[in-house]
Amino acid sequence: MINENDLIQNDKTGFIYGLRQSLTIVIGYAPVAITFGILATQFGLTFWEAGLMSFFVYAGASQFIGIEMIHQGATPLMIGLTTLIINIRHLLMSLSIVPFFPERTLPWSLGLAQGLTDETFVLNTKVLKEVVGEENRQRVMLGINLGAFSSWVIFTILGGLIGNWLPVEFSGFQFALLALFIILTTSSLSKQNYGTYLMAAVLAVVLKLLIPGKLYLILSVVLAAGIGAWWRRRRLPS
Amino acid sequence: MSTDYLSTIVLMTLVTYGSRVLPFLLFKGKNVQGFARDFIELVPIALLAALVIPELVTPGGTIVLIHNPFLWTGVLMFVFSRFVPNLFLGIVFGMVVFWGLDKLLL
Repeated sequence: MINENDLIQNDKTGFIYGLRQSLTIVIGYAPVAITFGILATQFGLTFWEAGLMSFFVYAGASQFIGIEMIHQGATPLMIGLTTLIINIRHLLMSLSIVPFFPERTLPWSLGLAQGLTDETFVLNTKVLKEVVGEENRQRVMLGINLGAFSSWVIFTILGGLIGNWLPVEFSGFQFALLALFIILTTSSLSKQNYGTYLMAAVLAVVLKLLIPGKLYLILSVVLAAGIGAWWRRRRLPS
Repeated sequence: MSTDYLSTIVLMTLVTYGSRVLPFLLFKGKNVQGFARDFIELVPIALLAALVIPELVTPGGTIVLIHNPFLWTGVLMFVFSRFVPNLFLGIVFGMVVFWGLDKLLL
């Protein structure tokens, strides 16, 4: 028996539906991924090395930070640790997506987790609420994730190819990533976090002058975020 | 491709995929609260400070104020991005201003 309700729901059940939903993310990812590809090649990586990072790591901000740290001469271990403290936030997103899939199998768990980013998290949370049935939700999320993921990888490689053709002697490229980070800063500073920002800034400068190497990055971030979080807890009535 | 680059990618992948997949493997739907949540939320902004400010103030390893194109481009960049919140335009602005100041100040 097919009734009208089933037909309406069927509109929102498949992989293709998810793929179509992912278009909004693709439009947002394309310029950022192209920028990443261009900068990576300006910093001495090949287009396929840039693509490889986008394929495996698949996490925008930490990829930019990764190539900046490679450029500054940080060790792989230091970059890995920094990536851990940036990307540990995925735990929070993953934790709040998991309840959509109470009966998930191992392959679905491994697959759906791969595509979880800030952007796919927001879109999935919005879209999955309206999809009936766990199997349908899995297929829709897979569509959303795959659409976003493949655009990230493809546009990175495209950016890398463009980067190969640009003149290398332009000194402005030294500032490109700093510019990007400053734009991200002004769009995420708020009354709730500017204290932490200032503390991290002062700590980072002081520690950089005192400690050789790149250790100042992690130390200042952990200290500032730790003190900031402690301060928030302290002000809350318990 | 260098071994350093390869190990960088492997480590970055492990920690990133790890934080994505662990809740799928272990949890039934519980949320992180309290200190840990605040800490995780504050990490990105703290990291932006730690990445940017030392590069602007101490580009060569010591504090330089006047003959420092990084610092002055950075200041202009903060002002620009406050009013023009566009990723592409902002990066172009930053690169062009840096290129100009780099010629003027050194």
